[in-house]
Amino acid sequence: MVRTSVRNNIRALRFNHDEMTQQELADKVGVTRQTIAAIEKQKYSPSLEAAFKIAAVFGEPLDAVFSYEPASR
Amino acid sequence: MNVTFSEKSAWGSLLALALVAYWYFPRAFAVASSGDEPVKLVVLSIICTVVLILVEVVYHVIIASNGRSSSDERDALFDLKASRNAGFVLGFGLFSLVGHIILSSIPESVPRLGTLSIAVWILLAVTVSEIAKLGFQIYYYRAGC
Repeated sequence: MVRTSVRNNIRALRFNHDEMTQQELADKVGVTRQTIAAIEKQKYSPSLEAAFKIAAVFGEPLDAVFSYEPASR
Repeated sequence: MNVTFSEKSAWGSLLALALVAYWYFPRAFAVASSGDEPVKLVVLSIICTVVLILVEVVYHVIIASNGRSSSDERDALFDLKASRNAGFVLGFGLFSLVGHIILSSIPESVPRLGTLSIAVWILLAVTVSEIAKLGFQIYYYRAGC
């Protein structure tokens, strides 16, 4: 499986927000549940707009949700 | 089930198009090579188009009634990437056909194609590129890239 270089802690944040489901987060962000699942598994890097929306749902700054870790060569 | 509406749509369209193409092209090439009944080719094409539209409509109504039918940025990205790849497939098919037509003007090289055969070959290139597009879409959904 190819992993993106964009790491995130969405799963932990969901858990800390009343165990928010992927579907609830997806509805608030305006994407499908499968996209949230793919972002969590680092199989897909969200657009900047979607990343800001996700951070806004949790009331966190962007860098508290996402971080960039380039693959080591 | 961990499959979006767009992926289900791609699967259905791929199967429907592949089956219709499998039925249509052998008959179309047979009619085109005989060259005596062009109306038969038109009738075949109309039948396939109508069947394809009906199957697609019914299938999409069914999958839309089973859940959410929205699409998002990931669907759009995979659609764009698959369309780009399909463009290469279409280009390869059309350039191959152009090459064949040019070569066929050289005596004793490759057999000449009739007008109807050229039309069917173009249609085949378009169909294969569409099948490739749907296949690439499904690949991207499965691979998650």
